[in-house]
Amino acid sequence: MKDTKTETAASFDVNDYLRQDRMPHFLCPGCGHGIALRALLWAVHEQGIPKDRLAVVSGIGCSGRLSAYIDANTFHTTHGRPLTFATGLKLARPDLHVIVITGDGDCLAIGGNHLIHACRRNLDITCVMLNNEIYGMTGGQVSPMTAEGRFTTTTPEGNTEPNFDACALAAAAGASFVGREVTAQVLALKTLLGQAIAHEGFSFVEVLSDCTEIYGRKNDLGASPEMMLAKKSAMRPYAYRNTVDVPFRPNALRTGVLTRTDRPEYGAAWRAMAARIREEE
Amino acid sequence: MDKRNRTTNVLIVGVGGQGVIMVSKVLAQLCQEAGHDVKQSEVHGMAKRGGGVFSHVRFGPKVWSPTIPEGEVDILVALEWAEGLRWIRHLKPETGTFIADCQKIVPPFACRSRKRGAEPAYAPQTPEEIIDQVHAGYVMDATGLAANLGNARAANTVLLGALSTALDFPEAAWAQVIAATVPPKSVGINARAFTEGRAWALGGTKRIDVTASGLQKSRAEVHHPQVETVVEITADWCKGCDICVKSCPERCLRLNDQLKAELALPELCTGCQLCSWLCPDMAISVTNTPVQEAAS
Ligand SMILES: Cc1ncc(C[n+]2csc(CCOP(=O)(O)OP(=O)(O)O)c2C)c(N)n1
Ligand code: SF4
Ligand code: SF4
Ligand code: SF4
Ligand SMILES: [Mg+2]
Repeated sequence: MKDTKTETAASFDVNDYLRQDRMPHFLCPGCGHGIALRALLWAVHEQGIPKDRLAVVSGIGCSGRLSAYIDANTFHTTHGRPLTFATGLKLARPDLHVIVITGDGDCLAIGGNHLIHACRRNLDITCVMLNNEIYGMTGGQVSPMTAEGRFTTTTPEGNTEPNFDACALAAAAGASFVGREVTAQVLALKTLLGQAIAHEGFSFVEVLSDCTEIYGRKNDLGASPEMMLAKKSAMRPYAYRNTVDVPFRPNALRTGVLTRTDRPEYGAAWRAMAARIREEE
Repeated sequence: MDKRNRTTNVLIVGVGGQGVIMVSKVLAQLCQEAGHDVKQSEVHGMAKRGGGVFSHVRFGPKVWSPTIPEGEVDILVALEWAEGLRWIRHLKPETGTFIADCQKIVPPFACRSRKRGAEPAYAPQTPEEIIDQVHAGYVMDATGLAANLGNARAANTVLLGALSTALDFPEAAWAQVIAATVPPKSVGINARAFTEGRAWALGGTKRIDVTASGLQKSRAEVHHPQVETVVEITADWCKGCDICVKSCPERCLRLNDQLKAELALPELCTGCQLCSWLCPDMAISVTNTPVQEAAS
């Protein structure tokens, strides 16, 4: 466990963590990214991380823009590369809690290679991928997370490619903490994000978010509340695994903590080597 | 030169998501219907949302090039203040008209210090300084005007209203093209926004009115035997997504006629906070204070 609980737990007011002069944010009405942002800030608060020791690194996308609204050390980087910037930052400043906010396109398309290597290294970073199954910001192109059959601007006849299972990918690449949650289960999401932040090593959280304005419309998924609630009922919460004899929604994606292993954290090994070299000199 | 024989150049600028393209579409359509040769060219999509967007509209008896040379812009319409300043040197020095929303969208990179109250590195020029440099100038709180009419996103139509005073098309023709361009459910608000913007600009050729309205908050107190619940809704942040309304277990919220959430049945509210957790726009805050504490 890290020394995160340094501030006494006052009740959470999201406004303490927002750059008030930047609000209201630019997301479309009902965009799931907003719910995820609030849950993340809540988790940060519950972990007792002082704002000066929080660093949020984001890529490009509607998801990437969220760092601009957070009143902490924020770093809005280039498309697909937030994990690389975060890696440098965490190695140079191990005292910071580094959280990466990225989108499904940012993280798995242009940034896919960086993700697998970040997972492999197991540096102590929390990567929060907001999966809305589309490139929201650029007008709704297909992403590696778009489900088969879905309509996007670049798949006007329906997507014919299968999508990734991002959590399985991250776990296979070596991430030592992997979890998934929907925005509608906001308490569970907050708890999961808190666990990911507290975990020592690379943690990957897939938040199933909704691009209401583009993906929702193109696929006739209803208004924001319907879209959000439909996701919730399409999942299999991990907590239900033992409650019934017949598996609950056996074919649905699982939510909750999916992988937690105890691998050596990369930063410690790297610093030990650096210290050794310095001693030898 | 005879005004009817030359090309009129209008440059519309702003940031992604504000509706620059809608303004230029309306203008181009109007010019075409009036029998002009029209060329419209734009740069968008390359910008990240929140990045710069601009559109050139040129019309006249015969237009050859789709882009306006520097210093040849007759009217510059800026949906965002700093974007207006960025393009102001493109305006015709002697006769150009500058129409701008005073609204500032501070880009993330302008935020170098996060100390409370620190000045971002944003264009420091005041509307007064800018108006002094141009032939005719209008700096207005188009976003505020539109918000007062019920939807801040109609700010671009408020500016269209101001633009209409600088060109020779009949008011009815503008109204018709706008109604045909915007989505059917927002025809009403856009018509009002246009009229408002036009009336405002008719008030003088060098006008500044940047009175921005403060944050509008509604507050409801609910008395329970053991806790005092306060539900606060920041109307200016609410985007009317309906999530809180559909998620409230007691069904005590609703959207009002301006599509803002409000606590319609406070007596039913249990203070469960679900609405505040799920609001994507952080527009709702629910606080529960034990009665003893609240009394002291
Ligand atoms: C190097 C580079 N390539 C392409 C782009 C254009 N671009 C901006 S955001 C984006 C995709 C964003 O999708 P995602 O990461 O899923 O974020 P969302 O908007 O859905 O949250 C792309 C392709 C860019 N900004 N930079
Ligand atoms: S385009 Fe989609 S992802 Fe982007 S803000 Fe709008 S709803 Fe959200
Ligand atoms: S606090 Fe609960 S009961 Fe009250 S308005 Fe919000 S969701 Fe409804
Ligand atoms: S959830 Fe928030 S933004 Fe949506 S209608 Fe309710 S208050 Fe408005
Ligand atoms: Mg996406």
